[in-house]
Amino acid sequence: MLSGLIWIPVLGAILVAFWPQTLASHRYRTLALIFAVITLGLSVVLSSQFIQLEPGQQFQEALPWLDNLGLTYRLGVDGLSLPLVLMNCLLTGVAIYSSDEEIRRPRLYYGLLLLLSAAVTGAFLAQNLLLFFLFYEVELIPLYLLIAIWGGARRGYAATKFLIYTAISGVLVLASYFGLAWLSGSFNFDYETVIAHTLPMGQQVVLLSLLLVGFGIKVPLFPFHTWLPDAHVEASTPMSVMLAGVLLKLGTYGLLRFGYGLFPDAWQVIAPWLASWAVVSVLYGALAAIAQTDMKKMVAYSSIAHMGYVLLAMAAATPLSLVGTLMQMISHGLISAMLFLLVGVVYSKAGSRDLNVVRGLLNPERGLPLIGTLMIVGVMASAGIPGMVGFIAEFVVFRGSFPVFPVQTLLCMVGTGLTAVYFLLLMNRAFFGRLSEAVENLPPVTWRDRAPAIFLAVLIVVLGIQPNWLTTWGETTITALAPVSTTVVVKATPIPEVVDPTEKLLKESLLTSSAAIALEEN
Amino acid sequence: MVSTIQQPSNHPLAEYVHRLEAGEALLANNQINVLEVVGILKSYGIVLDAYSKNLIYIADHQFLELFPFFKYFNGEVSLGKLLRFWNHDRINYEYAEYVMKTMMWHGGGDLDTYLDSPEFLERAQRVMQAKTKNNWLVSSLQRFFPDFLPEQIRQLAYYKVLGQFWRVMSDMFIDLSDRFDRKEIQSIAEVVQHVQDALVAAASQPLVYAVEVKGQVYDIIPESAGLTFLMDAAVPYVDTIFFRGTPFLGTVSYNAQAQQIPVFQDQFTYGALYADPLPIGGAGIPPTLLMQDMRHFLPDYLHEIYQRGLRGEDDLRVKICESFQKSMFCVTTAAIRGLMPHPLDTEDPKQRQANRVYLEKWMDRFMTSRLQIVNVPDRY
Repeated sequence: MLSGLIWIPVLGAILVAFWPQTLASHRYRTLALIFAVITLGLSVVLSSQFIQLEPGQQFQEALPWLDNLGLTYRLGVDGLSLPLVLMNCLLTGVAIYSSDEEIRRPRLYYGLLLLLSAAVTGAFLAQNLLLFFLFYEVELIPLYLLIAIWGGARRGYAATKFLIYTAISGVLVLASYFGLAWLSGSFNFDYETVIAHTLPMGQQVVLLSLLLVGFGIKVPLFPFHTWLPDAHVEASTPMSVMLAGVLLKLGTYGLLRFGYGLFPDAWQVIAPWLASWAVVSVLYGALAAIAQTDMKKMVAYSSIAHMGYVLLAMAAATPLSLVGTLMQMISHGLISAMLFLLVGVVYSKAGSRDLNVVRGLLNPERGLPLIGTLMIVGVMASAGIPGMVGFIAEFVVFRGSFPVFPVQTLLCMVGTGLTAVYFLLLMNRAFFGRLSEAVENLPPVTWRDRAPAIFLAVLIVVLGIQPNWLTTWGETTITALAPVSTTVVVKATPIPEVVDPTEKLLKESLLTSSAAIALEEN
Repeated sequence: MVSTIQQPSNHPLAEYVHRLEAGEALLANNQINVLEVVGILKSYGIVLDAYSKNLIYIADHQFLELFPFFKYFNGEVSLGKLLRFWNHDRINYEYAEYVMKTMMWHGGGDLDTYLDSPEFLERAQRVMQAKTKNNWLVSSLQRFFPDFLPEQIRQLAYYKVLGQFWRVMSDMFIDLSDRFDRKEIQSIAEVVQHVQDALVAAASQPLVYAVEVKGQVYDIIPESAGLTFLMDAAVPYVDTIFFRGTPFLGTVSYNAQAQQIPVFQDQFTYGALYADPLPIGGAGIPPTLLMQDMRHFLPDYLHEIYQRGLRGEDDLRVKICESFQKSMFCVTTAAIRGLMPHPLDTEDPKQRQANRVYLEKWMDRFMTSRLQIVNVPDRY
């Protein structure tokens, strides 16, 4: 079943790419969308059969491939990767749906888009380090081409920069994997085997550092972020949706799965540094966003800030904060995808994203009132207003991280305040006031333009009100990932049995904090 | 020998001075403008008919009613009408009241003077006594707040006068549309001439107001007060609604303390000729109400023009407002020409100079208006 998630889009990509050039451009989109919907349907079926209380890998598939190299085709899904796979399938559909009907070279475009989706799913499902690396690298090619061919004026520069940065990221990740194999003396790269290795602390720290920089580029974290704003600004709207919604998550997923998963001891040693790194990333991203006048760049820098929260929660590594990482990844994926979609509509209608040019877009008849309203919903969600998924994700991140890194958490919370600052600046400049002369006669917005953002807005609100639906798959897996301190916790205070998962999470977080206090006392 | 050739005006809006001197209108003459102006005045005429009837109904039949719940029903209260009202299937009579209050606030003409005269107060007292007799609630209200009821009657007088004014205007605009349909009107100059002729014809029509209380008729504005249509309703109306107006809430943020609103009412420039059509469609602003009413009665030829626009039906009310503004420049042209100190075709250089000075004074008022914007061809 897992192979289907990878190979159905690949099949779709091949079919679309080699279909005779007889159809109108939008027909290829329909064809691509059919494959995206089938894959999404399959992922939903998979979710319905997923056993939530089972922490390990499920639906495992294994085929021998290049055994001499330690490369096997081994797939599996657990509570961490399942939600990300679902989000990838969902946003692929959104990206295809929101692509321009009359796009140039549609067969190549939709083929590459489906290939990108397949590679990302493959990376989330891979249970062999080299297989993960392969998928991790394969997704670069379609994305590079998608930016380089269908991007903006400086697309060549942005695509090349993206490629160089992320290729270096891949090299560092691969170096870490090879280092692990070399130092442990085993060239079996299956995750289950590798995770059993124990290395001296010094070696762990070195290998982990390679992974941190490698995945840190992908996330991206300061100071490895500079490729992201350029890539976003030059990428078309659907590419920005994929980039912010899914591609960045490969970085955080990699950090959690391989950085934290393979080197938990070294992780604990450098965790305070990671938390401080998160603070720098959050505050830098937020302050840089304030300085932007390009709406898309502002949202891009906001991504850097919001991904910093994920690193903070990972550094704290409490059961609650680790649940928070997953929640924040999903939350950011949905919210940033929605914001990029809306900025895309503004750009396509007004012809500019410059906050010095575009004003008064909430004008009821000549502006973009519904798009503006959705933008308000989006920025409120991003700024963590209660009732939306952004709030609960950030709340769980901060609640989980505060007992371990109180100062860093408080500084990151300043970042959420700054989110409100830059997004209010955006709203105030672009949407309030009199419609500027330059954009007085905008073309009409169709329901097709609005539909994807409305869909994501509904999802953001529903998951904000019912966050259990978000945590239900990942909770068991992530709790099992939680560090050894749980044993200390159990000794410190016995956990009474609770049924409600939310209550359980809160209790665990309370206990972790009491454990931290107990450890400090010792 | 004294030259009879007049030198060109040096006014920044000299182009429009010369246009008016040549017998043309403030609005450029072209086919689209004619269609827009006549079409919009037709729908305006239909709406004004409803407004006029309701204003007169309120003045006559809701006289000093403390709780006029059904004042917009024109005496026909039924469940069906109430349901349609709640479903917003109705005319926005609130707009008419907004205009009435704006007129009352700015005053002007002899009506304003009359309503402050002892004669009016005496007549008001008489009708108040008749109305409040055996009504302890209203009579005690009058005892504690003696200025309250006279002010209400002043306001009701404005209801009546505006109702009478719009009655004439409504008929004039419908007649214009009928003449256009008969191909008797084909240019902007002919539109202006039609309006001017109708204003002149109704100029001396008396403004009167009488109410019946308990079977007896009381004159509030008698014919003997000498109030007439042109000087006491039309001229103050043009000055108030076309030029001064009021800052519409919600369209722009005005900060009175920062002197963004003039201290003196006669310096206001918030009237229809100055209004920015873009905020139309926003909730809570009076022009939206008028445009919303007019959109129901657009003639097909005008509707088709609007549908050809980039946004089609989406920005209909803004387009209606733009056409409406054009039409109001035509009505203003008629008013300016009707009030000219000397005939337009006079040969006397002194009279021509006097006309020039008169027109340039009007142009001073147009400096910040949308006169030049409405004359930009194919703006949208």
